[in-house]
Amino acid sequence: MSTTSPNPDRHQRRTPISAHGEPAMWVTAGALILCLALILGLAIVIVWRGGSTFLVRPVHEVTLADGTVFLGSPFESEAVPGEDGQTRRRYRVGNRDLGQDSYRWVRSDEIASIATPSDGVMVERREWGVFFGRIQRVYLIREQEYEPGAGGPADGERVNTDFGPATVRVIQESETEDGDRRVLAHLVLADDAPEARGIFGHVHDTVLDRRASIESLNRHRVPLLQERLSRLEWKRRGIERRTGASRREVMPVWTWGLTALATIATGLGAARLSRMVPRGSRKYGLRVLSMAAAILCAMGVLGVVTEHPWSDDSIPVERASELIADIDADRARLSEELGRVLEEINARRERLDRVRVVIVEPTGGRFSPLSVSEPGEPMAVADVVRVVAANDLGLAGKLRVYLARWWEFLSDRPRANGAEGGVFPVIVGTVTLTLLLTVAVVPLGVISALYLREYARQGIVTSLIRIAINNLAGVPSIVYGMFGLGFFCYGLGGWVDSGPANAAPRGFWWGLVGLTGVIVLGGVISVMFAARRPGRPATAVNRFAGALAWVMWLSAAGLAVYLVSSTPYFDGWFTEKLPERPTFGGRGILWASLTLALLTLPVVIVATEEAISAVPNSIREGSIASGASRWQTIRRVVLPGALPGIMTGAILAMARGAGEVAPLMLVGAVNFTQSSPVSAEAPFLHGDRTFMHLGFHIYNLGFQSPDSQATEPLVWTTTLLLVAIVVALNLAAVMIRAKLRGKHGAAI
Amino acid sequence: MGDAVIEPKKGLGSERRGLRVAEVIRAGESFDAEVHAELADEPEILRADTFSLWYGESRALYDISMKLPRGKVTALIGPSGCGKSTLLRSVNRMNDLVDGVRVDGEIRLEGESIYDPRVDVIELRKRLGMVFQKPNPFPMSIFENVVYPLRIDGERRKGVLAQACERALRQAALWDEVKDRLKQSALGLSGGQQQRLCIARAIVADPEVLLLDEPCSALDPVATMRIEELISEIAERYTVLIVTHNMQQAARVSNFTAFMYLGRLVEYGPSEAIFSRPILPETEQYVTGRFG
Ligand SMILES: Nc1ncnc2c1ncn2[C@@H]1O[C@H](COP(=O)(O)OP(=O)(O)OP(=O)(O)O)[C@@H](O)[C@H]1O
Ligand SMILES: [Mg+2]
Repeated sequence: MSTTSPNPDRHQRRTPISAHGEPAMWVTAGALILCLALILGLAIVIVWRGGSTFLVRPVHEVTLADGTVFLGSPFESEAVPGEDGQTRRRYRVGNRDLGQDSYRWVRSDEIASIATPSDGVMVERREWGVFFGRIQRVYLIREQEYEPGAGGPADGERVNTDFGPATVRVIQESETEDGDRRVLAHLVLADDAPEARGIFGHVHDTVLDRRASIESLNRHRVPLLQERLSRLEWKRRGIERRTGASRREVMPVWTWGLTALATIATGLGAARLSRMVPRGSRKYGLRVLSMAAAILCAMGVLGVVTEHPWSDDSIPVERASELIADIDADRARLSEELGRVLEEINARRERLDRVRVVIVEPTGGRFSPLSVSEPGEPMAVADVVRVVAANDLGLAGKLRVYLARWWEFLSDRPRANGAEGGVFPVIVGTVTLTLLLTVAVVPLGVISALYLREYARQGIVTSLIRIAINNLAGVPSIVYGMFGLGFFCYGLGGWVDSGPANAAPRGFWWGLVGLTGVIVLGGVISVMFAARRPGRPATAVNRFAGALAWVMWLSAAGLAVYLVSSTPYFDGWFTEKLPERPTFGGRGILWASLTLALLTLPVVIVATEEAISAVPNSIREGSIASGASRWQTIRRVVLPGALPGIMTGAILAMARGAGEVAPLMLVGAVNFTQSSPVSAEAPFLHGDRTFMHLGFHIYNLGFQSPDSQATEPLVWTTTLLLVAIVVALNLAAVMIRAKLRGKHGAAI
Repeated sequence: MGDAVIEPKKGLGSERRGLRVAEVIRAGESFDAEVHAELADEPEILRADTFSLWYGESRALYDISMKLPRGKVTALIGPSGCGKSTLLRSVNRMNDLVDGVRVDGEIRLEGESIYDPRVDVIELRKRLGMVFQKPNPFPMSIFENVVYPLRIDGERRKGVLAQACERALRQAALWDEVKDRLKQSALGLSGGQQQRLCIARAIVADPEVLLLDEPCSALDPVATMRIEELISEIAERYTVLIVTHNMQQAARVSNFTAFMYLGRLVEYGPSEAIFSRPILPETEQYVTGRFG
């Protein structure tokens, strides 16, 4: 056979175009680049927009062609659609309380001139956003009465004040009924623009210090007193509830004593019997008997604990009135103290509010008012957060303001629905929630995965369970929110607060306890018959008994749940606060984190299963052959080997939970709350409290704010922060995982 | 059955009828192993009485009856798939972990049937040390690997653990190589070191019988030599049952050798007899490498 002779019948092979130049490679690489570009774009957009919120922008004084003048900070500009060469620019003009929008579009052909006056400032205020204007005057209001002939201030007189020398300007003079002279005067500290800004800075610092001390009084002392007062109220209610005749008859002491003795006797008997039947013994009768005795003993213990003669917590009437008198005295003392504190706070606030500043805007010559209802009164210095004279600041000054704004954002609490102030409590809420959810989900998920992978016999049932778990991951998160609200908040929380909604009658309840005992005994017996003989495959009896045992355990578990949920022996831990203030029976961070734990459970289970099955079987065999039990093998060999993988699951769960918003709106996130889920007061972690959450905060800022235009930059910044927190949590977990990996060597 | 089984018996070999064992087995005729007379005098520690094992429907062991002499090294040889590992794993009931395993007959450790329901299998495994074909160190430090069997017994005293660790590592001829890195991960050791580590782990709790399943198959000749020396040394203290494919190794380290074929015990006797003048031609052909 010659290879050179051409065969005329040979099939002519050709190379189609699609085989040239690997087009598939280009398509796949293109898709990958597109994905990367989108992700990178997302990161860049968030970082850029979030990071630029606090940039210091110049203050322009814009004179329009029609003669109007306004102050504002320029934002982006764009071409006017359909008009060649025309651009328009967006100015932030603030001054919302004077009745204008926060932003204003100006066409370039409307503008006559633009100046950057060095005294034009942007004032950040506690309420109503920013104000653009010029600081004109700083003064104190003083209103005093003087006895006739005692003198008093005269117009133009120079006096000294806490804030420095001032000139008196008498505004109003009148005579009181008893003939005194009442003088309302302004003590003017500064009265013309260039000088006023410097003096204002000095006055502002002092005012802020004073304000801070008032606020700390208001924020710490007042809630503490209020909390103590309500505790007294609840204590009083508890006493009232327990006053008088006992609510249920209690077992007589001697019956109870006999029960206790019988219980001890059964316990001893059970121990003795179980010693008589060694492991694997065929004396089934004795084994059943010993188990029966043990179960009986457990029921006896339950009875002895619930029915003890001291379970009557009723209080005699005389004693109760004594206690209530004590409480009332305490309450009176506390209310008086609270009143005093509030009064002092008010007085100090009022005094502080008399320090005023006149900030004038050029358009209509109006000034920033004390409040919208008092447009004629200039604003209080205490309401100024920061004055930014952007045109007057060098790069270092701008940087300082930028960082100061970031710091305020990170460390302060929100004001004006989050449009002002910071997000510190929001961060605290988010981080606490995420940590709590991780603490809840990881043990539960890992234990479930352990059973599924290490103990359960692999078959149809385990496959079905796996499918169900995977599907659980796809359920819309709001569904979890509904479940959390119904089950955790109202169901479990209601039970914790006030005990079972409808407790079973005692006779019925004890009947069920007995039934549960019988079922448990049945389960024990079934397990006895489910055990294979060593070296023999499962017989039909073994298999039937095994299935029966499952049925028994499940029904016993169900009964136990019912018994706990309808126990007549539990009246709730927080009944006193009901109905007006449910403790755990409402939305709160504990239930929210448990809801999210449920939501992220599939992630942890799947990751743990993968990690466990990646542990080589030879290692398990080595451990078993060393004489370790199944559990010891899991604890000492499988889990350490699977730990990095389990950590990965925890990280994924954390990331998913931290970004979830929808279910939180139902189970505990609120747009504003004074109280924090973690605090310095016992018990430090308050699972019953509502909380703020960054995701929800973003939603609120973007959609619920009265001035969403003004809050948009903050939305970006908050988003950036949320992303940063999730990344930080993940990084921390990745670092822990890397450390674990290093400790246990390579491979798994 | 009972005691009679392990008495030296007149089997097929006495007639020297050529390669008959395979035919007899295929024909399904009953068949008794050739057990050399020297074994009769040995005190036994472990014995199997007509022990059979099934993996589901397929039978892996057929009526194995043999005894393990106390304080001696016994080698199990035979072609791949003949059931050596299965027999070894039946002794410490590792086969319990396999679904659908069924056994028949008895294996007795010191006269006690190990398949009795009353036997605590964990206690049983503590009396037997096992080393696997592939080194299987745990993902923890060298020290923790060695003292693992003590740890699971609840031993916490540092001194006791350190002492036991050193003793086991010395016996496993590993001490000098690792004494400075006990706290490092065991996964960083070489294959041969890992296998010696596994031997140290198997002997640290003083087992009565040491089960070795091809302990050298993953090792180079030098490491194999070391392990062989090691086996000869520790044989003074333990009874050893070793599975091997290496005839020279079996001849070198073992006192007795059992030849298995197709799930049956075929010939069992002192190693020099099995390797120099076996009764059955099959055995001779296998040990000389012409069969199997
Ligand atoms: N887990 C198992 N399930 C089913 N059959 C098995 C199992 N383990 C082993 N077997 C079968 O049992 C028989 C004996 O296997 P075994 O592993 O004991 O052989 P061996 O003599 O150790 O072989 P090798 O020298 O190759 O290790 C083989 O036919 C094998 O296929
Ligand atoms: Mg094998």
